[in-house]
Amino acid sequence: MKQFKTILNFELKSYFKNKVFVGITVALVLLIAAAMFFPNIMAFFKSDDGAEPEQRPVMLIASKSEAQAEAMREAFAAAFSDYDVRAAQSADEARQEISQGEAECAFVLTSPTSYTYYVENLGLYDEKTAVADEILKNAYRVEAMIESGIAPEQAGSILSEQVTHEIESLGKDQMQNYFYTYVMVFALYMVILLYGQMVATNVASEKSSRAMEVLITSAKPTAMMFGKVIASCLAGFIQLLCIFGTALVCFRINQAQWADNPIVCSIFNMPPELLGYMLVFFLLGFFIYAFLYGAVGSTASKLEDTNTSVMPITMLFIIAFLVVMFSMSSGNLDNIWMKLCSYIPLTSPIAMFARIAMSTVPPYEIVISIAILIGSVVGIGVLAAKIYRVGVLLYGTPPKLGSILKSIWKA
Amino acid sequence: MELELREISKSFGEKKVLREVSFAAKGGQAFGLLGRNGAGKTTTIRILMDVFPQDGGSVLIDGEPIDYGKIRIGYLPEERGMYPKKKIIDQLVYFAELKGMQRRAAIQSIDYWLERLNMAEYRDKRLDTLSKGNQQKIQLITALAHDPEIVILDEPFSGLDPVNAMLLKDVVKEEIAKGKIVLFSSHQMHYIEEFCDSIAILKDGRVALHGELGEIKHSYPRNKLVIRSAAADEILALPDLAGQKTDENELLLTLPSAEAKNETMKMLAERFDIDEMRVFEPSLGDIFVEYAGD
Repeated sequence: MKQFKTILNFELKSYFKNKVFVGITVALVLLIAAAMFFPNIMAFFKSDDGAEPEQRPVMLIASKSEAQAEAMREAFAAAFSDYDVRAAQSADEARQEISQGEAECAFVLTSPTSYTYYVENLGLYDEKTAVADEILKNAYRVEAMIESGIAPEQAGSILSEQVTHEIESLGKDQMQNYFYTYVMVFALYMVILLYGQMVATNVASEKSSRAMEVLITSAKPTAMMFGKVIASCLAGFIQLLCIFGTALVCFRINQAQWADNPIVCSIFNMPPELLGYMLVFFLLGFFIYAFLYGAVGSTASKLEDTNTSVMPITMLFIIAFLVVMFSMSSGNLDNIWMKLCSYIPLTSPIAMFARIAMSTVPPYEIVISIAILIGSVVGIGVLAAKIYRVGVLLYGTPPKLGSILKSIWKA
Repeated sequence: MELELREISKSFGEKKVLREVSFAAKGGQAFGLLGRNGAGKTTTIRILMDVFPQDGGSVLIDGEPIDYGKIRIGYLPEERGMYPKKKIIDQLVYFAELKGMQRRAAIQSIDYWLERLNMAEYRDKRLDTLSKGNQQKIQLITALAHDPEIVILDEPFSGLDPVNAMLLKDVVKEEIAKGKIVLFSSHQMHYIEEFCDSIAILKDGRVALHGELGEIKHSYPRNKLVIRSAAADEILALPDLAGQKTDENELLLTLPSAEAKNETMKMLAERFDIDEMRVFEPSLGDIFVEYAGD
């Protein structure tokens, strides 16, 4: 026990003395603080509202009928307030101006209900045609209504009538929880991968520097393994705490500026019990992977070998991550893959967590998943310590899994 | 105190690495564990240090199974290496704490050893700023700082300059004088001959030879004489003596029996001008080649 404490202490100190570790943490904390203060900074630079008309991008409207062109120019100008909407004589002129960079886009109306949209580069999120469709549709309907004898004002009010609705979710609200689940699953993924690799590299570098020769004769392999893994777990946890803590504090300071951003608000208003689950799955998931990484690291005799040795574990975790991410964006968190993944110990930390966060999972399922996970952490911990004990004394080419298991069996 | 290994066996997979290895080493003496590469020295040391268990046999202290909680062991491995990027004092304290020392006592002891080995100026430097020989001196501290009852030194002199080798010799003599068991493993036979009272030679996982070095040498037939003399040629010309000149320009005479040696020495001393004359004893190198060679 004393050895374990000594090792834990030493390893933890190495993390906090490591300039890269401290540097990355400070950089991330500053970055997140800057992001949280972003609206304030923007407001500081943007002294007056609305850009000058000549600075706005130009949108051209062309039509064969001059009356339609003018009416549509006004309608478009009202709908696209951040554009300088101008009339153009013809489609050719519009195209020319766009290719010369004088205008950004153009709507060339070919009839009351059809048009060609010219744009220099079509953006991924270009929704101008949807707005234009709506404008033309409205104009056409008003025209048609007036023709069939309805007064223009009445026609306008009929068309502008909006349907109102309210949503009350009895389970989870995926619109609300998607973003914070995303952030947390991603954080779990990053921290586990990053620190797992660090454990592997740490073990392998002790081996390659031959410090292991002295270590293995001074300390019990189990104490070394657990000391390292728990130290890196604490380091990772403290790092997360710094980053999320900074984010939370800065968010609270700037809460007023963020009030109209539902995504950011939803992230910071996540239910507290979810943080509890996050902690549980973070710890268990971290341990299971760190043990595996440590064991694999112990079988590599050179630092260069670790990357290839840890590949299978990393791939497994990436696949789990992708399954979770796809299920999250599909909205169906309770598909058969996710259910399967939430019981397999190597994938359950993120799969079960995502399901708890975004869907309604019966409590017994959560209990079973966590129980399996705890059992596996203990089992893999013991196995990893045994691999470690054998692995650290092997030099030369990394041994095959079979021969390691065989020597564990014999030891 | 006596350390005894009794019939230690160990296999890795199908390969038998140690077969019933037995030897004993006494406190206040140095013991030489010899053998060619791959003979099983490191495995023996690792079993002795409880790195992995033996398949059969036992490690005893004064006849009782060793209690690793009580007996402290210091080890200088042949493959040297510590943490290159860490401060020397930090890692020395870490290793001493792992061996069960309290922090304050560890620092005190380490400071003594840094001073003793003329390394005090490097206390707060990073290990990789030191030369290889100096790194080795630092590593020696990890083997000695916790005042172990058993000190195991694997090739302690390799890579040291003559001044540092002398310093290390003094340190080893001090440790022996304190009544410790010092276990040497080395291929530099003259160091073993200089320090070790007893030796064991391992060959293919077996003890090929074990005993007190003096007795081993004495057990060789004492019918050869080594003579250094200007009259070597005349001596060789004597009718009753078979002999030859050695590489060191000495004369090696082989007598019909050991009983004849006193009379022959008397006769030679009377008739010729002799610089030096002694009964031939094989060097440890000769013994090693005889027992460990193919």
